[in-house]
Amino acid sequence: MKKTGFVYDKRYRMHTTFNGHPECSYRLDAILDGLRESGLLEKLLPVVAEPAQQRWIEAVHNIKYIVRFEEACLMGLPDFDHPDNSICRETYDIALLAAGGVLKAIDAMMEGKIDNAFCAVRPPGHHAETDKAMGFCYFNNVAIGARYLQQQWGIKKVGIIDFDVHHGNGTQQIFENDDTVFYYSIHEHPSFAYPGTGREFETGSARGTGYTLNTPILPGRGDMDYRKKLTTDMVPAIKKFEPEVVLLSAGFDAHSADLMSGINLTTEGYKFVSETIINIVNKYAGGRVISVLEGGYNLDVLPVLVADHIRMLAEL
Amino acid sequence: MFVSERMATSLITVVPQTTLAEAKALMDREKIRHLPVVDEKGKLLGIVSDRDMRDAQPSSLLQKEEYDRVFAKVMQHKVADIMTKDPLTISVYYTLQDTLLVMRQRKVGALPVIDEEGCLKGIMSTRDLLNAFVNVMGIGEPGTLLCILVKEQSGQMKKIVDIITEENVSLGSVMVARYWDKDKRAVFPYLMTNNVVRIKEKLVQQGFELIDPMTWYLKQLPGDKQ
Repeated sequence: MKKTGFVYDKRYRMHTTFNGHPECSYRLDAILDGLRESGLLEKLLPVVAEPAQQRWIEAVHNIKYIVRFEEACLMGLPDFDHPDNSICRETYDIALLAAGGVLKAIDAMMEGKIDNAFCAVRPPGHHAETDKAMGFCYFNNVAIGARYLQQQWGIKKVGIIDFDVHHGNGTQQIFENDDTVFYYSIHEHPSFAYPGTGREFETGSARGTGYTLNTPILPGRGDMDYRKKLTTDMVPAIKKFEPEVVLLSAGFDAHSADLMSGINLTTEGYKFVSETIINIVNKYAGGRVISVLEGGYNLDVLPVLVADHIRMLAEL
Repeated sequence: MFVSERMATSLITVVPQTTLAEAKALMDREKIRHLPVVDEKGKLLGIVSDRDMRDAQPSSLLQKEEYDRVFAKVMQHKVADIMTKDPLTISVYYTLQDTLLVMRQRKVGALPVIDEEGCLKGIMSTRDLLNAFVNVMGIGEPGTLLCILVKEQSGQMKKIVDIITEENVSLGSVMVARYWDKDKRAVFPYLMTNNVVRIKEKLVQQGFELIDPMTWYLKQLPGDKQ
């Protein structure tokens, strides 16, 4: 069994979205209830979240964007940059706390207190670009984590694996010219799914050419294509890049019961995804992995998938 | 949907007396493949394409000395000698659809756009046309495509649009496949949102069938019918 850290803070519930919005605080309630009922929660090592210092947010996001976001929340505006991005007065502070939770998990892992961690944070992050909020995301938690690993912990090569059903356009944009962060994403084909990016020919630019890899999956192809493509695309890419640490954008919205997408991945398919990723992380990154919650909107299925994922991390 | 909204208007043109050397330098520098030739009043006289330019150049198989000699001589000619006179043109009142069809029929890569007096107003290339259609389809911006199977009867589209409107979601485009399954049409709204759960639920409640395009595709493959 591994020492798996768990980031959660009840204040993550204070980022409230409009009634009926899929990215709601009930998601975390469902995850917590599931972990409690299965007895998994007590086997995890709690990691206490703190708001991220602004300099780490600035390592990824434009200062003008950060100020614009803070002002939108303070002014009590209903949304930010797009009607999808529902906000409340507390959203800015909670977004800092979400990113900060990831940084605390990184600290605990780098100090050797834990082997790996799952961060049950919200708001999610992978759609957030340098200066644009998109798809329920404001601060790119995983991207901020990657820069923190490099600048605070001297890690040279960070791998990011994104298995949310939507392409992480924000993470791709932030690192597209960068050859020190490898971004891999498997997602529903952009002709059908939000946000319409993440095609095979998007492979990074300038120095970052070859350091972005996208695997679009056609609707309904679920388990079959995920099994095949993770093996043929992701595994060799991670092997070649040899990341020192891997961050996961863990989205659970590719499941057949999640109306957000049409991929039709099964619960078993999700186990394969976690298992394959954790195997290569153990092999090539010394097992150092921080998994960060992104999407996953079906409240019945989400806790099951998260629990399965955490079992793989903790080798239970 | 008129070409005047989509054509390139910052025009690079030459006069008939321009030498090929000048014209070639201009095309290389500006990275353009079509050079309209106009008179002093801006009236379109012809067009020189990169193909015309290449046809005028000596064969690359020639020995270097011979090549350079012929090349230098050729480059002193005027564009009037090689331009296509009275080229195919379109008017500023052409729609994007007209342009699409005429480009397909006449197999041309760019069309000069002229006004009633024959003066050059712009140029419309296949690239401008592609950009226009990306814009029309809305796919340059983030969104989600829905695939809805509807019965062939009136009022179906209204129901769909009403549901989308109720959820305050902006429509990028709607494509309709008129022939899908028997007596059915497929409607593909492109929604400018990530938040499609409620819309999908409401569509199903109102009796619409959401289709998985891949399942449909696989069903159509020959020898795979059940």
